[in-house]
Amino acid sequence: MLVSDGIKAAALSPALRKAFTGPDRDAYLRAHDRLRGAGYGAGIARAFASAAARVAEHAGAKEAIALAGDASRIAIKARPRVAADYLDLCPGIAMKVRGADDFRQWRGMIVSVLEGSPKALGALLARSEMLLERLGLEALCTWTQTGLRVGGQDSDQALRFFQLETPEAQRLLERYAGEANFPSLETGLKSFHTALWRHEPVLREAIRDGSNHRVRRTGFSNGIIRMPSAFPGFKGQEQRLYRASLAHVGAHAAYGGPRFPLGQLKPLQVAVISLIEDARVETLALRDMPGLIRLWLPFHTAAPDGLATAPNLFAALARALIDRAFQPALGWVGKGVAMFDCASDRLCDPAISREIGNVLGNDLGQTRVQFDALSYVVQPAYRDDNLGLWDLPDDPETPPASDEIEADLQDLRQCEPGDRSPDRKQEQTTPDTPALPDAVKIVEAQTEGGRKVFSLPEYDHHAGVERDDWVTVNAYDPIPGAPGFWDALQQRHGTTISRIKTVIAKSETGKRRRLKQQAEGETLDLDAAIDAAVAVRSARQPDPRVYACIMPPARSIAVHLLLDISQSTADPAGPGISILDMERDAAAILAGTMSQLGDDLAITAFSSAGRQDLRVTPVKAFGAPLDETTGRALSGLRSGFSTRIGAALRFASRGMDDVSRYRKLVLLVTDGEPSDIDVADPEYLVADARRAVQHMRSQGIDAVCVALGPEAGQRQSEIFGRKSCVQITDISTLPNTLPAFYLRMTR
Amino acid sequence: MSLETYRLTEEPRYHPSADEVALYEAAYQMRLPVMLKGPTGCGKTRFVEHMAWKLGKPLVTVACHEDMTASDFVGRYLLGPEGTYWQDGPLTRAVRHGGICYLDEIVEARQDTTVIIHALTDDRRILPLEKKGELVRAHPDFQLVISYNPGYQSVLKDLKESTKQRFCALDFDYPAAPIEAGIVASESGLNQQDAERLTRIAGKSRNLRGKGLDEGASTRMLIHAGRLMVAGLPIADACQFALITPITDDPEMRSTLLAAVDACI
Repeated sequence: MLVSDGIKAAALSPALRKAFTGPDRDAYLRAHDRLRGAGYGAGIARAFASAAARVAEHAGAKEAIALAGDASRIAIKARPRVAADYLDLCPGIAMKVRGADDFRQWRGMIVSVLEGSPKALGALLARSEMLLERLGLEALCTWTQTGLRVGGQDSDQALRFFQLETPEAQRLLERYAGEANFPSLETGLKSFHTALWRHEPVLREAIRDGSNHRVRRTGFSNGIIRMPSAFPGFKGQEQRLYRASLAHVGAHAAYGGPRFPLGQLKPLQVAVISLIEDARVETLALRDMPGLIRLWLPFHTAAPDGLATAPNLFAALARALIDRAFQPALGWVGKGVAMFDCASDRLCDPAISREIGNVLGNDLGQTRVQFDALSYVVQPAYRDDNLGLWDLPDDPETPPASDEIEADLQDLRQCEPGDRSPDRKQEQTTPDTPALPDAVKIVEAQTEGGRKVFSLPEYDHHAGVERDDWVTVNAYDPIPGAPGFWDALQQRHGTTISRIKTVIAKSETGKRRRLKQQAEGETLDLDAAIDAAVAVRSARQPDPRVYACIMPPARSIAVHLLLDISQSTADPAGPGISILDMERDAAAILAGTMSQLGDDLAITAFSSAGRQDLRVTPVKAFGAPLDETTGRALSGLRSGFSTRIGAALRFASRGMDDVSRYRKLVLLVTDGEPSDIDVADPEYLVADARRAVQHMRSQGIDAVCVALGPEAGQRQSEIFGRKSCVQITDISTLPNTLPAFYLRMTR
Repeated sequence: MSLETYRLTEEPRYHPSADEVALYEAAYQMRLPVMLKGPTGCGKTRFVEHMAWKLGKPLVTVACHEDMTASDFVGRYLLGPEGTYWQDGPLTRAVRHGGICYLDEIVEARQDTTVIIHALTDDRRILPLEKKGELVRAHPDFQLVISYNPGYQSVLKDLKESTKQRFCALDFDYPAAPIEAGIVASESGLNQQDAERLTRIAGKSRNLRGKGLDEGASTRMLIHAGRLMVAGLPIADACQFALITPITDDPEMRSTLLAAVDACI
């Protein structure tokens, strides 16, 4: 022990003396000294002293001492201020998490954010108590990992994520917190509305309104219902709340009249009239479906004796009109209920809402109750924003009916290649062969023609989580290439095609079937035997087919052929031909063979430009004929962008869900390992693709890979397994290698 | 062998929705074949039974399935102690002895077997028994009725045009709500008010026909639910037991239906 330590030890506070004993006290003092001498300001060392004692109490002395190292790193990589925030936060966290191990995990998470995106650490710390409360430690770590991945190289993007400013951060937060949100409930909500009101609704997720505020209430206009992406603060009740909201909007549609003209009405009157109209349509709906009261009533939480502010009065009136047991002590509410009851015999007339609302609005105006129209949010939460009730032609507050479509367009714009870094592999380069005079036009057509199909999950092997809706699939229409593709193919590979056909036709796939009434077979077919005996006795010619046999399996295969058309496929595979040319021919030969054998085939070409844009081009769909259009679509394929194999495999297997064949196979033809512009770690996409293959196999869809070109093969066998992967360097070897896949299918 | 055992002894209750009884009687008077179209459980079979009883004719019912061959309709030789003997099939029996032959869900039978009824359904009214070398002329009382559910079968299972065009057709659907409630009440012994609630619930499930459900809840299901309620089950449990769980395996759709049921009670 140092002499100076001994002196200082005497000056330690009782809490510190109690927390650190023996060697721990030395370690603490040394850490404290280092921090004080490092020049981050005296505040940091003080904060450490204060935090260490309390952290030691809940998480042990070792963890408490380690805070000094963390603080030092934060002060260097971020700012000393952030380090002080960190130290202030730690005692609270140590109290919340259980024991030293969890606290160490929390520290590790902070350090990983510090390494990945130092700029965003402050934002995360400021929210970490709330986040920990909502998510729990495990989910919080996963969420921050995801945030770092979303940010990637872009520190501003990560900052916005941890500030919870991006819709994705919110959505992921809800998901990891186990809170249901609109996307997770949408399908069920649609059928709920259809069941109740007969017609299928058009539902849209509303994330931001016109003034970029988070949408808090459902709205409807022009037949489109826009629902908030989440209702924060209703954990565990999300589904009921969304249903309540949809039932309410449905009641408007079923029992509402034309939109009310706005005229000279003041915002207060508009709010009151809307409130009466809400109660009117709900009352009518309850006559048909009395059970809806159980859906709506729990969200009416107004107290009978609140302050007489406008929002309180409105909430109380709303509740009193639907809940007859609720009797507030407010005269204005009582008057509203009485007037509503008086009009009960003509509830079907929307005009009563205006009549009652006008009177009540005037009364309220005279009592000089303050009403702030801008901050007013309709209560209870399931009710709509009332904008759909009013004729507001030029009101800028009204969100455009097509706001979602605008958002989609924006999404697409974001994935345009112009926004990307000028990486050689990923860039959309103009092919240098003179045979493609329309190359420039193609680029334009491709970026304009994409439309979002759906989103797919992706697996992060670092975090060990599968992130839902991570990759966006955009479909691009095929660009017709030169006609006469099939003739040219026949000229190029005539002998190969005929050899393949004989080999493949011999392989057996499918289900065995019992055949009766056969001329030859293993057993007697009793029915046929009796018939024959009858014929003999009645002096007729008997049918000699009296045997039954087990039929060799009928062919029943569906194959989804995936063609990798990333930029690297533009590289030459041999003299005068590119890898893409080779892929195209291989695909065409296989397709031709399969269609003659009656197998079902789909062909999709894919590339990717980051997780926001998995670019798929449907060349041929299941059930579609193999014809000139397919040939032109094939010859129109051009190389560009990157290779996100896992996502492409998930896309292909999803497309096979509806195909009813005995064996299903996804056949990937690629020239290289997975790569994409937003992924730096080469293992990430390989691990994801491997996971995709495992998942497909668990669903009975086989995944095999043809690796083209001399350099391919290594990573593919890691993904697909050695037996399911074959490397082809010369297209003339296809007849020998393709049957291997067909034999796999007969297992 | 006559068809005495096929005669109905008690009146099957049937509540007409429109003028289907008169239409059927006219068709029978002229011995025209009739096709009944409509979703499952809406009362097609009950209607035929009711009409057979009303007209005092025996009713031979054949439930068709996909392995059904022509022999299953017309009959076959069987091996007996004395060698083989011919056994009439249900269709032949009705043709020979004069009765109403009802082929339920005819599209389920293999397409090539349905052509055997062609000669019976035009003015020839004959049934050739190819294997027996006999030509059976239809008894004057014989009439052919088939039923057919155009909803759930795929395009693969449709009647041939040449078959369709031989029949008069009656379109069945679930009865209008007040009538259906009355049927549910009388068949199950449930009170009128609860029967009305059940029909309202059925309406909600029928809204989802083709939008997540192949079929909505049938009248037959409602009667089951009604009987369960008479046995003492609360309405929500009876609906879940008799309507929702049988109708779909999709957990999300079940949850939706439960919520819809809840909204109605």
